[in-house]
Amino acid sequence: MTTIKTNNKDKRSLIGSGLQQRTEDALADEFLRKAVAFTTDKLKNGRLNAMADIGDWEIWRERGRAIRENTISHLDYYLTQFADNVVNNGGNVHFCSKADDAVQAFLGIAKQHNAKLVAKGKSMVSEEIHLNHHLEEHGMEAIETDLGEYILQLAKETPSHLIIPAIHKNKQQIADLFTEDAGYALPAETKALATYAKTKLRNYFLESDIGLTGCNFGVAESGSISLVSNEGNGRMVTTLPKVHVVIMGMERLVPTFDDLEVMLNLLPRSATGQKLTTYISLITGPRKLKDLDGPEELHVIILDNGRSAQLGDPIFQEVLNCIRCAACLNVCPVYRHVGGHAYGSVYSGPIGAVLTPLIQQDMKEAGQLAYASSLCGACHEACPVKIPLHDMLVHLRHRKVRAKLTSLPERFAFRMYEFTFGRVTLYKVATKSAYYLLKPLSRKGLIHRAPFPLSGWTDSRTLPMKPKQSFRDRWSELQNELKGGMKDEQ
Amino acid sequence: MSNKAGVINGKEAFMLNIANRLGRKEPLKSAPTNPVQGVPDHYKAIDLNEQEKIELFVHNWTALSGQVLIVQRAEAKATIAAYLTKIIGELQVTAASLWEHVELLELGIEQQLQSMNINTVPWRVMAVQDTATDLTNNEQSNPTKWSARDKLLQATERCELGIVYPDYVIANTSTLVLQAGGGQGRSVSLLPSSLFAIFPAERLVTRMGEALQGIRDTHPLNIDYPSSVNMITGPSRSADIENDLTIGVHGPGKVYAIIIV
Repeated sequence: MTTIKTNNKDKRSLIGSGLQQRTEDALADEFLRKAVAFTTDKLKNGRLNAMADIGDWEIWRERGRAIRENTISHLDYYLTQFADNVVNNGGNVHFCSKADDAVQAFLGIAKQHNAKLVAKGKSMVSEEIHLNHHLEEHGMEAIETDLGEYILQLAKETPSHLIIPAIHKNKQQIADLFTEDAGYALPAETKALATYAKTKLRNYFLESDIGLTGCNFGVAESGSISLVSNEGNGRMVTTLPKVHVVIMGMERLVPTFDDLEVMLNLLPRSATGQKLTTYISLITGPRKLKDLDGPEELHVIILDNGRSAQLGDPIFQEVLNCIRCAACLNVCPVYRHVGGHAYGSVYSGPIGAVLTPLIQQDMKEAGQLAYASSLCGACHEACPVKIPLHDMLVHLRHRKVRAKLTSLPERFAFRMYEFTFGRVTLYKVATKSAYYLLKPLSRKGLIHRAPFPLSGWTDSRTLPMKPKQSFRDRWSELQNELKGGMKDEQ
Repeated sequence: MSNKAGVINGKEAFMLNIANRLGRKEPLKSAPTNPVQGVPDHYKAIDLNEQEKIELFVHNWTALSGQVLIVQRAEAKATIAAYLTKIIGELQVTAASLWEHVELLELGIEQQLQSMNINTVPWRVMAVQDTATDLTNNEQSNPTKWSARDKLLQATERCELGIVYPDYVIANTSTLVLQAGGGQGRSVSLLPSSLFAIFPAERLVTRMGEALQGIRDTHPLNIDYPSSVNMITGPSRSADIENDLTIGVHGPGKVYAIIIV
């Protein structure tokens, strides 16, 4: 039997452990690397098929971008319209600038209803504000009801993918977690495990005091909250508990139902390759007077938390156009190797590398994420609303340098680089001496091991040996060859 | 009937900040002139006749493991009854919930279920005697929050089959569009493990936008939208365990569509 190396550390407090450490942990986890590569391939191919299915994808993408751009650049208008319509339909709206304001708003609602049990649909924003932790502190139990999120809750870990959060867990690990939870042995079979979770979660749906969800798109013209899901947990938590609380980022809007149709064509196709997810709910206010089911109270918590700082920014405003489809994760060569945990934030992959430092307004720690990219631009190509993520990553690096947050040796090295490359004689001397310095390290034209700082490269890759003759040395020779060649042709 | 208006907290400062960041002194009061709206024109222009819509729906629905039965209007009552009997036998249904809907009434679904000795839960306020029998059948030794909830909801939760009559059906994704309200309970399409949807072919639309436009047109006041519109495309599913497709996680795992032509 082969043993697969896995990582069972508590991953809840990731940001403290450093990007380098998290990356090494991820690279050492064989199952994670295989699972991430397999899943991202599957999702990516699904997306390509779904794009071909609808046809004229570039026209759709441009339409999606234009709608998001219009929404964000008139956010004050649409957000007012949305909030007014939520309220006119009997819902309540709480505008919150900071993460803690949103936590307090939620705690206030929970207290008012003497709530003990909160059933959660998928909500990235609730993870962004660490709501579960706060609920625990106040003696409440919050249950994640998305199957993947439920597995992670039992494992005390955070999501490693926006769409398939437990991508890094294998069946045996899930069976172990469920066995511990159940108190009796469960086999490592998908059907048995899913049935256990279904039965267990059904009881939570029935007994919970509050249903908590995110919001995929709020519709300004009607005040509707749209929610997409495949399992149906989103419907459960918005149907059974007496109180429904929505926590959403302030940018998560579309102006009209017509625009919603565009986004609902782009989102599932880009996320999972489905034409549509199994369930899409449009929730407008709490139950109406003639209704016999549905929540009696609806609260919509609208969060800023660093988002408004991007408004009006010529480079970063577009990051608010994101619709959280995770297509950029599935094509990112870096994400495919390290998975989501290495990013140390609820948002991973290229979008996480941009969003996390901006939301946390932390260029020092979270800002390192901008370097976790090869800048290949695959994320931009895959994005259904055309966010230039790779450009943003370069701008973030620039910000970090400007803020003097790079290390002293690095800054010194780049000064030297600038000085040398700006002067012909120095440049010639430097390139010549590089050859003689590297020569003892080279075997058959390749350098396998080298001392610091080159070890940063050679630890994981081989470096080709610098040729004795540089391009500059050969230039006059080449010029002659070129001239000769042209004469021959004449 | 509309609800009492809710409250807004913290709007002014929040909105002023957004306006300022966008370079405005105060929040925008008039609607922006939208450069673009809705789906691309070529997509909007796709025009299918009824037969094409039926074919497209059937293709998509069966690809998602859904079952379809197409019945002639003249024989609808008898054919649907026979099909329902077959399904109830296969699924070993003992209790079924259904919308309190004029079309289902005309098809005689409720009487049929009762004649088969199926515990029938129509989506209407429960009569006192129903509530009483329900309580004696399900006496709990330790009462829970759920046991104190509405009896109709509890009875529906025990059903294995839910029967609905969709308001719209989207052909190009095979999606049932169900508006909640009155006799159209949202729980009926959610809590039972199988879903049975009956609709006439004229309720088929080509794309989602037509259904959304229909909802908008039938609710001209912004205050009377249905509290919930559910679009259902196939069975409940998950791929969260090692990418293995699991059908029927929380919502119905078996879905049946009956089209009356």
